[in-house]
Amino acid sequence: MNRAKTSRSEAEHARIEMEINQILATEEELLPSSGFASAVMERVRQEAALPEPIPFPWIKAIPVLLLAGGGIVWSVVEMVRLGGPGLRLTGLSQSAQSWLTNPLANLSAAQARPVEQAGWVALALGTSLVSWLLSRRLAGRGGLL
Amino acid sequence: MNTATIAENNRAAADLADVARVLDGDTQAFEGIVRRWQGPLINMAWRYCRDRGRAEEMAQEAFLRAWRGLSRWRRESSFSTWLFALAANVYRTELKRFPTETLPLEAAPEPAGLATQHSELAAQLSQDAVRRAVLALPVRYREPVVLFYFHEMDVAAAARTMGMPEGTLKARLSRARELLRQRFPRLEEEHNAHPSRKDKNAARVGHPHFSKSEVAEETGREAAR
Repeated sequence: MNRAKTSRSEAEHARIEMEINQILATEEELLPSSGFASAVMERVRQEAALPEPIPFPWIKAIPVLLLAGGGIVWSVVEMVRLGGPGLRLTGLSQSAQSWLTNPLANLSAAQARPVEQAGWVALALGTSLVSWLLSRRLAGRGGLL
Repeated sequence: MNTATIAENNRAAADLADVARVLDGDTQAFEGIVRRWQGPLINMAWRYCRDRGRAEEMAQEAFLRAWRGLSRWRRESSFSTWLFALAANVYRTELKRFPTETLPLEAAPEPAGLATQHSELAAQLSQDAVRRAVLALPVRYREPVVLFYFHEMDVAAAARTMGMPEGTLKARLSRARELLRQRFPRLEEEHNAHPSRKDKNAARVGHPHFSKSEVAEETGREAAR
């Protein structure tokens, strides 16, 4: 009796699915409105008339970006170093803390001086970049260049 | 070779020729592509959103993307396969940005009962209810259903358009049908007996995206050449 009930319900399911199938398969076709193709071609012609977009100058930008990135990293390290004992660097080993708080201590005095000067230059460049980006943003112009 | 295959081959040859002309700088040649594919692309968009105005806007956007990306068609698949996949991508993105207003599946109205189903209007309403319920399906099941029926129940074509394996598409279709069946447990067989429906069924031949008249027109052009 149970088997008959199950097969009846399976047949019912199959019938409903077939019905859904038929409804979805027989959709009335829409005809495009009369001006559709002309409207598309109008937009295509407008696009074709535009000058080619200028590609982003990656070759020029990469050194600048690397320099700016280096400057930012250096400035962070400098801030940590100058902040020294006041900063708590939890989760770092003793050697990593000492490297971060005073990286120049591991270099000789002759090596340390030019590196320190380069650091200040990088910091100045980074600051300039940030202020330039900020001014562009305030002026409402997106993008990097 | 049957008429549908001839028409399809002609269309593929015309697509190739138009694409070559467009890539050579002849903007006007794109109009041939638009005129050939406007019907299928609008109908496909209609199945995604069930809003005629929006369907045309989405189809227009798909054509523009096709125009911009024509050089990226590598001819590994047919132009239509590439165009449909691109259009599906555009429609999916558009609907993600501005979703259609759909009821949850549970709230989709049940088709009219036995007493009213003999009228044409009631039959139409019940069919519309089922079609609209497709839009209320979860996203992962909705698109396989839309594309499977758009491609006249061709699993391979729907899978190519979606860029997914056929097995995955079949599994999702099966689940979608189950969800729809659970939602509409009392669908009546009256639907099939409707005379206008039989006519529409008869009008669809051979090619999945073109009506009988379009196929006949294309075949006539071939004979004239």
